[in-house]
Amino acid sequence: MSKALKSFRRAINNANLSRFRFYFQAASFVLLVYGGYLAINIGDQLPTFGCIFTEHRGGSCYLFGLQHQMATPWKSYLSGRGIGILVGLLTFFAFFIVFNKAWCGFACPLGTIQDWLTALRNRFKVRYGNYSEPVFQRLGKIKYILLALLILIPMGMGNSFFGLPKLNHDFGVPFCMICPGRTVLPLFSGDFSQLAIDLSSKTKMIFTALGLLITGIFLAGSFIKKRFFCLFCPMSAFHYIFAKAALLRLSKDGAKCTRCGNCYRACDVGIRAIADDLEHKNIVKDDCMMCFKCVEMCPEEGCLKVKFLGLPIYESTEEGFFKRMQGHNNAK
Amino acid sequence: MQSDTDKRFARMQKTTGLHLAMETEETLQRLTEFPDNPVSMKYFYDLFHNLYKDGHSLPTAKKVIGTICLQVPDELIYAAGATPMRMCSGAYAYDQVGAEFLPAKSCPVVKATTGMLHLNQSLWGESMASVVVPTTCDQKKKSAEILKEMGYPVYILEMPSSKDSDDARFYWQESVKKFALDLQQITGTKITSSKLQDVIAEMAECSRLFRKLNELRRAKTPLIFGKDIFLVTSAYFVDDMASWRRAVRRLIAELEERNKNDLTITNRQAPRLLLTGSPPIFPNLKVPILVEQAGGIIVADEVCSSNRLLYDTVAYDETNLNDMVPALADRYLKPCTCPCLTPNTDRNRKLEEMVKSHRVEGVVYQAFSGCLPYEMEQKQISNTLTEAGIPMLYLETDYSSEDLGQLSTRIEAFIESIKARRRKN
Repeated sequence: MSKALKSFRRAINNANLSRFRFYFQAASFVLLVYGGYLAINIGDQLPTFGCIFTEHRGGSCYLFGLQHQMATPWKSYLSGRGIGILVGLLTFFAFFIVFNKAWCGFACPLGTIQDWLTALRNRFKVRYGNYSEPVFQRLGKIKYILLALLILIPMGMGNSFFGLPKLNHDFGVPFCMICPGRTVLPLFSGDFSQLAIDLSSKTKMIFTALGLLITGIFLAGSFIKKRFFCLFCPMSAFHYIFAKAALLRLSKDGAKCTRCGNCYRACDVGIRAIADDLEHKNIVKDDCMMCFKCVEMCPEEGCLKVKFLGLPIYESTEEGFFKRMQGHNNAK
Repeated sequence: MQSDTDKRFARMQKTTGLHLAMETEETLQRLTEFPDNPVSMKYFYDLFHNLYKDGHSLPTAKKVIGTICLQVPDELIYAAGATPMRMCSGAYAYDQVGAEFLPAKSCPVVKATTGMLHLNQSLWGESMASVVVPTTCDQKKKSAEILKEMGYPVYILEMPSSKDSDDARFYWQESVKKFALDLQQITGTKITSSKLQDVIAEMAECSRLFRKLNELRRAKTPLIFGKDIFLVTSAYFVDDMASWRRAVRRLIAELEERNKNDLTITNRQAPRLLLTGSPPIFPNLKVPILVEQAGGIIVADEVCSSNRLLYDTVAYDETNLNDMVPALADRYLKPCTCPCLTPNTDRNRKLEEMVKSHRVEGVVYQAFSGCLPYEMEQKQISNTLTEAGIPMLYLETDYSSEDLGQLSTRIEAFIESIKARRRKN
């Protein structure tokens, strides 16, 4: 390796990635929430929560389209609409495969809002909450249930399950109805209309009321618990289906791990495997949002590595760890 | 009129003081006998010379909080305005005093520590605000009760005997939280987040420097003897943090200079060894000195008086006490490889990794007779090392000099066998 490259990599590994992430998140937020004002729109199949209900969005979440498309009668799946579904999925996949779950840690506006709430809590010196491991495991399953429902309910609109009557159109995009993204993100462009209960039908009333309730829980929850909502996010569950194929990876060398637990401490979601799993090389778990705080906090040379196409782009080093930990404090 | 017990005690104090000074001088002499000792080691030689010169006074004017075992979060003590001082003693003179309180077969570290505290109680009583004893091994736990009976303000820091479950982790975090609150009562000083941040950064700098030394020991050219490293880390027990750092920085600079000029401290072909097991604490540097006199060089260690003490650093996520205190707790439990924990497979893994990173050719396992956890863990370690193809020498020893001859024969044979292995390969 040439000297210049070596010192360049050293500078990268010494960098404070969290600070970079903070600005990157803010920029993504502006792009996804206000992109429309700048005539930017990167599409509606994003693997992250830009929201279709935000008028001047710069891109929106694939789950809306997916739910919409799932309300297709069985026989049409093999027709032109089936191609539409496939194209949607492929577009999503193309976006996802490059950045993997870093969409959550670096781009998701809803995630960013949670991080801002965390910063606010920290400023008020309020203690944060955490789950115990068994509770974490149990709650973590909810996202898969939500994912199954957001596919099955629309399917039940276009088709009849077990001879039951088809669901009516008020069941359209059920997850969006309860997603805090729908209620919270439009607020940033001055649109308060989503903060209402739709009384036009019983179904809609229940969904929108539930949506408001969840919005309340989202705001309170993420003030107390870091990345509170992410544990339940069906997008995160959907990601995980494809995560093994992604180009961006987080890898761990178990032999170098001392199980000091710094990474687990730093993990906003609370993934214990990052510290205790010594076997798996690919350490991206379903709840991981690839914020790479674990890499920053790891004091062992090359134990944790962020890799793109197999090439390490950011890795844990002793020097970088001490630089970041000591921060402005300069002990003499 | 002085009673007979008082007289006897005064006599004991005097003779022990003399023995201690002799022991110190003897060890220092053997340490300095080696050729080409780094010039910057003089600081550490002088430190111990002065510490035990006449009597054994506490080297600080501040309120001292004695700690026994490395699981006590020193950062909290500093932040509460006191000075932590590790009390684990390596002195044979104190070991003999301690034998009055503890069974003959108990561990010399515990005996010496108890003996030291007994003998110096009248001297230190005033400035010792507390003696903190984590519930590690049985002998330390029981010695805490003896110290309490002597009249020391003993603080029992409850520690789990396992570290893998979340329950254990949270129990320990609560324990440390309580310790932080109680410390403020003991010292009368509030622990603030900014003070704690400063102390954590200071101690992180100590770790960083220690790791730097560790890295230099990895070099192909042997740059420093293990016996000197153990002196440096023994100094960390008692020295002022800032002066310790300055001295270590000087040492590092000197070693880097030597590395650049390709100056070696010993034979380039000296077998590279790792020392693990019961802690070598000054003045008991018997085994490291024997190993290096016999032509080996200790390039790495896995003991609680050196690597385990200084390797890890607190990593917190938020700058408020609610996060920093549990982070401190984690630092003292999660990476700990003390054999009082079960399971303790991390110790095996750590050794395996160190064997690779420091290109170790043989392991010296020191177990103090009476130190059951290390004696019992010997098998587990030797199995792992056998699998990795690394020979291990198991030495059962204590603080006395009676076994010097026997030890040096065995050590020489071990080093010869490593050289023979090399020739074969």
